[in-house]
Amino acid sequence: MKAAELVESRTPQWRQLEALCAQLESRGDRRRLGANRRTEFAKLYRCACADLALADAHQLPGETVRYLHQLVGRAHNQLYRTRGLESDSWADELFERVPRRLFRDNSLRLAAVIFWGGFLLSAFLASEFTPVPQFAEQVLGKDSMMSLDTMYSEPIGAGGRSGNDSSAMAGFYIFNNAGIGLRCFAMGIIFGVGGMFALAFNAVFLGAAFGYMSTTPHSENFFNFVTAHGPFELTAIVMSGAAGMRLGFALVHTGGLSRLESVTAASRRALPTMMAAVLLFVGAAFIEGFVSPSGIPYAFKALVAMITTLLLLVYLVALGYSADEPDDDEQRALD
Amino acid sequence: MGPALSVLTAPTQIDSHVQVVTPENIAFEYRVAGPFGRVMALLLDLTVLLLLYGAIAIGAMMLLGALGLPGVGQFFALVGVFLLYWFYGGFFEAVWNGQTPGKRMMGLRVLRTDGRPINALQAVLRNLLRLVDALPWAYIPQMIADEYPIIYPTYLVALVCMTLTRRRQRVGDLAVGTMVVVEENSSFGRVPAPDEPGLEDLIERLPADFVPSRTLARALSHYVGRRRYFGPARRLEIAQHVGRPLVDKLGLPPDTNHDLLLCALYVRAFHEWQARESLDLTEAPLVPIPDAPPGDNPVSSTPVGSR
Repeated sequence: MKAAELVESRTPQWRQLEALCAQLESRGDRRRLGANRRTEFAKLYRCACADLALADAHQLPGETVRYLHQLVGRAHNQLYRTRGLESDSWADELFERVPRRLFRDNSLRLAAVIFWGGFLLSAFLASEFTPVPQFAEQVLGKDSMMSLDTMYSEPIGAGGRSGNDSSAMAGFYIFNNAGIGLRCFAMGIIFGVGGMFALAFNAVFLGAAFGYMSTTPHSENFFNFVTAHGPFELTAIVMSGAAGMRLGFALVHTGGLSRLESVTAASRRALPTMMAAVLLFVGAAFIEGFVSPSGIPYAFKALVAMITTLLLLVYLVALGYSADEPDDDEQRALD
Repeated sequence: MGPALSVLTAPTQIDSHVQVVTPENIAFEYRVAGPFGRVMALLLDLTVLLLLYGAIAIGAMMLLGALGLPGVGQFFALVGVFLLYWFYGGFFEAVWNGQTPGKRMMGLRVLRTDGRPINALQAVLRNLLRLVDALPWAYIPQMIADEYPIIYPTYLVALVCMTLTRRRQRVGDLAVGTMVVVEENSSFGRVPAPDEPGLEDLIERLPADFVPSRTLARALSHYVGRRRYFGPARRLEIAQHVGRPLVDKLGLPPDTNHDLLLCALYVRAFHEWQARESLDLTEAPLVPIPDAPPGDNPVSSTPVGSR
């Protein structure tokens, strides 16, 4: 059968496949497509694939081959679709797999060392016991120091902040702090060094702020404010930095895979950790917006801090400890 | 299947086509999107994003302000902006089968490198890593009213990365193993039977048993499919490269229109019934009678009418 006859006879089916593709591509029409039309679509797709496979044997002209490529590609994209957000596996992921991975994670340990070490060192260097008196000024800059002073000059909760303002501030903290955490994460891809840099930068800055405030006369107000949300927020920064560093180190320490494969495998593990960190940021933002600026006695804020620390320990250690190795990745291989 | 697989597609060119083998064991080509198309999609997405920011901020503040809770309104506005900023791309690419509104308007789609669809994790992660692609940030001090600097992302990391990879992937794409392809809406390439005066006569004057070989047939289909874009002089200019040896080989008169000759051969190759019509066994096929007696023309040494 010559090419033109073949094309003539197959054209109606190709046209039909094209029409079905167009229907599937618009969401409204897709819902109305019945079961037998969809089966027909699958059958037409297989026929079109067969036509394309034999296009050369039948010596179809170039234009027709090109058309078939595009048609098959288009139908392929409709037949194999994304599975949406897959939200039913999120709880599983968050409370089972993430803690176990974190418990064994080396980049989390490294991130914790970098952050807390830098933080404590910087706080020491900015405090009154420091051998370097100008440290705080050089790190923070005069403007930041002055603004910190004015922010904490009044006792906390004396102004009686309304619920409205607290909500607004909570929203702002989510926007600001989670953004910082996500930036730490994204920077981590730069061979892990970017993540270390971002973590160290934040650690030194925060440590200097803490150290400086401890030397001022209103250090009480400052620590009154930061105690309640401190554990959640600082842990969240460390976790997001660690997640980013895991991506970055996968470029360097590939474990036998190619670099790209290694990063892809690491990304599957890093993103859930990042999402857990974002949830911690949200929690910290709520506490920072509602609990920290309120006028309740300091004992309660310290209690909140202790409870949050306990929750973190439960999450990381109690949920994270398991006798066997985490088996997550192999089963969910390349899905 | 071995040799067939290599000729399943058009001959490989140095262009932006990437071959993908699907589960049906078909190898077909995708055209990957270069930076220009993707920049357009990004700008469209930014516009949509700004509109959504405005809508959410104003909506939340007005709604909750009317209820007497402006602070809560600010809260929702800020949370909404945060979620949009970081998760807009990831959400749409996960739910819309690899497309965001900007990509949809430009006809692009995100796929895995092996042609399969992406999942939510890849969608979210490649959008989070856009932060790295946006480096370095340009800082031009004192540009606006001699006081305020201009700060904007230059996306040079993304550009360099796209240039260096075969599939035009930026850093976010490389990390999760995806690529962005152009969805071409198929325009049907009907086998056009050219309609020219004098074509029928020329077809009849062709030797009856001459059938173009496979490569010649492919070249003819390319030519006939594209010739409508050219003027008559250009057509002759292109056609003469194949036309002149064919005229000699088939023993046609030297003033044959080469363009017409290629069309005639095309019809011969792809429209069988016309050839079959002329192949009537009771009647001898028409052979063209040369002007000069055979032997004068040094090139055509073969007898007229045979291959």
